[in-house]
Amino acid sequence: MDNAVKLSFPSDPRLLGVVRGAIERFAALVGFDEEDCRWITLAVHEALTNVIRHAYHNRHDQPVELRLKERDGGMEVLMVDHGTGVKQEQMCGRDLDDVRPGGLGLHMIREIMNETEYMPLDGRNELRLFKRKGSKSSVGE
Amino acid sequence: MHIATRQLGSHTVVDVQGDIDLYNSPEVRKVILEELKEKKVPRLIVNLTGVRYIDSSGVASLVEGLKISRSLSSRFMLYGLSPAAREVLELSRLIRVFEVYGTEQEALQAK
Repeated sequence: MDNAVKLSFPSDPRLLGVVRGAIERFAALVGFDEEDCRWITLAVHEALTNVIRHAYHNRHDQPVELRLKERDGGMEVLMVDHGTGVKQEQMCGRDLDDVRPGGLGLHMIREIMNETEYMPLDGRNELRLFKRKGSKSSVGE
Repeated sequence: MHIATRQLGSHTVVDVQGDIDLYNSPEVRKVILEELKEKKVPRLIVNLTGVRYIDSSGVASLVEGLKISRSLSSRFMLYGLSPAAREVLELSRLIRVFEVYGTEQEALQAK
């Protein structure tokens, strides 16, 4: 049986550090090197902050579920929330030549992960991310 | 996270210790903007040697500081980036817009 972990926690930003610790250690367990562990942690953290800010509008007591799973030579992350869904056409990262605060999270997620799939389904939003071992992030390209 | 400011001649140094994420980036933003907009310091240096982790909200706070410093004709510098912090700035392609130095001495001596 492949390794898998399920975490359930409220949308409280104070817990972000705790959750990052779990993600980073799970990525190491799957066999990612130290650098990739940092990247994966950053991508999942950014997705989680998007849930807190945009799905739950900074409410800190809403449920978030995170499932980490080893599969197909990599790591799959499934994040579930019950907040406001976002339409696919609204999920656009900003132009990186435009130097301004904000809009970076989605860009980071897409640069780091090999697969990103977002499914808003009747009050339940699922984000599935996948990172393959040996695939490098396109940093600074 | 802990944040404090100190004065070194005409330079104001903001020392940040701990992770900068969605939880505490508003505090970093507040301190930086207070120094630039209210105290109108001519040279602000952000010391990131004690920062192991920074996310997009932390980067956004630094970008906001940079933009305000430009509008006020003051100088905004960073030093002591950890590998993780540098990687995040590279990934967001913002490393090129900041004045980044390795050490405090280099930032203080910057022309």
